[in-house]
Amino acid sequence: MRLNLVLELLDVPGQLLDALNPIGRLGANIVAVIHQRDVKTERGTIPVQITIEGDKQTLNQVLKVLEDDGIQIMQVDGIVRKEKITTIMVGNIVDQDLKDTVNLLNKVEGVMVADLDLKISDNPEKSASRIMFEAELGRKKEAMAKIKEIGKQKGFLVINEV
Amino acid sequence: MKICILGFGSVGQGVARVFSMKRDIIKQEYGLDLKLVAAADRSGAAIDPDGLDTDLLLNTKKDTGKISEYPKHGVKGISGMEVLDEVDYDCLIEVTPTNIEDAEPARSHILKAMKDGKNVVTSNKGPLALSFKELAHTAALNKVQFKYEASVGGAMPIINFAHETLSGCKIESIYGILNGTTNYILSRMAKEGSSYDQTLNEAQEMGIAETDPTQDVEGEDAACKVVILANSILNMDVTYDDVEVKGISQITPESITLAKKEGYLIKLIGEVSPDSLEVSPRLVKEGSPFAVEGTLNVATLKTDLADEVTVVGKGAGSVETASAILSDIISIWKMK
Repeated sequence: MRLNLVLELLDVPGQLLDALNPIGRLGANIVAVIHQRDVKTERGTIPVQITIEGDKQTLNQVLKVLEDDGIQIMQVDGIVRKEKITTIMVGNIVDQDLKDTVNLLNKVEGVMVADLDLKISDNPEKSASRIMFEAELGRKKEAMAKIKEIGKQKGFLVINEV
Repeated sequence: MKICILGFGSVGQGVARVFSMKRDIIKQEYGLDLKLVAAADRSGAAIDPDGLDTDLLLNTKKDTGKISEYPKHGVKGISGMEVLDEVDYDCLIEVTPTNIEDAEPARSHILKAMKDGKNVVTSNKGPLALSFKELAHTAALNKVQFKYEASVGGAMPIINFAHETLSGCKIESIYGILNGTTNYILSRMAKEGSSYDQTLNEAQEMGIAETDPTQDVEGEDAACKVVILANSILNMDVTYDDVEVKGISQITPESITLAKKEGYLIKLIGEVSPDSLEVSPRLVKEGSPFAVEGTLNVATLKTDLADEVTVVGKGAGSVETASAILSDIISIWKMK
């Protein structure tokens, strides 16, 4: 059977090779790779379409290894695997250690911080940040509740999607 | 139908005005003769078993500020409870100011009327948010009608809409903008890029926000409505303390700008679902049903058969709110 994947790779050397390596190693055939470096997502990553061939078990193994390696699989046979979550947090974001906040958020299961935008106010207490997450399909609600909890612990006002 | 109004503020006066406007048409169409036999405010009451003149009543209130100054039939210093004892009536319209501390005196008025076998229509959120079960139970026990469409969303149809129009559907959740004042403030902030304090001042000058805006801006008013919807539409058994409440006073122009960059607006949303009762600022997509401006209210009901149904309407206003009270009165009449 064949599987069409859309991966999202960082725009740094060696990424494509890292993604393709386990496919061959596990015994699946690579039928096609469409890789356009000048087409970027809004997050600056590069979408790569790959078609692979093999028996069901091998293909499942490939998906698992890719995910374990931290490679973002956006679509499988046209079905979206990731959902976007946008959240805005209001508060003293810089003083509350931005890096620590992102780390805490990344620890939420099935969620990765994909983009972050800051707007510092004259009054630091009123600064705002917009954080975009990628969440595994079906985990959005649960992830939003956890994101809210982390924001609250830090003393931020968390504005989630409806 | 002999009607008694307790409370003669903006909503009470709206009811009197609507009676003046619609009395003849309602008589013609439904055979319902609306006879206002008593109206009471803080000063006392006006009582006339033959029916008060609603125009004269409105003028008396306008000129003197006191309903008890009503010519010949004014009674000074009489309390709401005493009026209910004194007067022979069929239906109580309870529209005294909302009190979310202990729901009084509205709760006592409503219970007394029910126990006396009278139907009750109210827009008062206090007793509904704090003692819903007690009121619904008392109404059932005394076999009287209890209607409160005007308590949520003013003129926006939602409670009777869910009970009657969507009666075959199970309502799974409701999301909505349930407070007009905060929607006005957030809409203006998004449009003008102005600060929260500045916009609140403007809203106060325009009479959209009250001098003490706490109930609106801190989400308390919306939380009452969440409780009413949860109890009456989702058949839950909850009270005000079960709602997680966050208002809009911390919303900054910066956060609105960031939201806009991604195509979002910030709105104060009430969420009513079996796993969550919440009032909080949320991100809604521009162009979505929640992206309404000004003082409008909106609610989306998620149902099992009809999927999502959205209603929009004016959430406040004297005559607008009275329209919901009038429709409750007519539906009580039809059920007789």
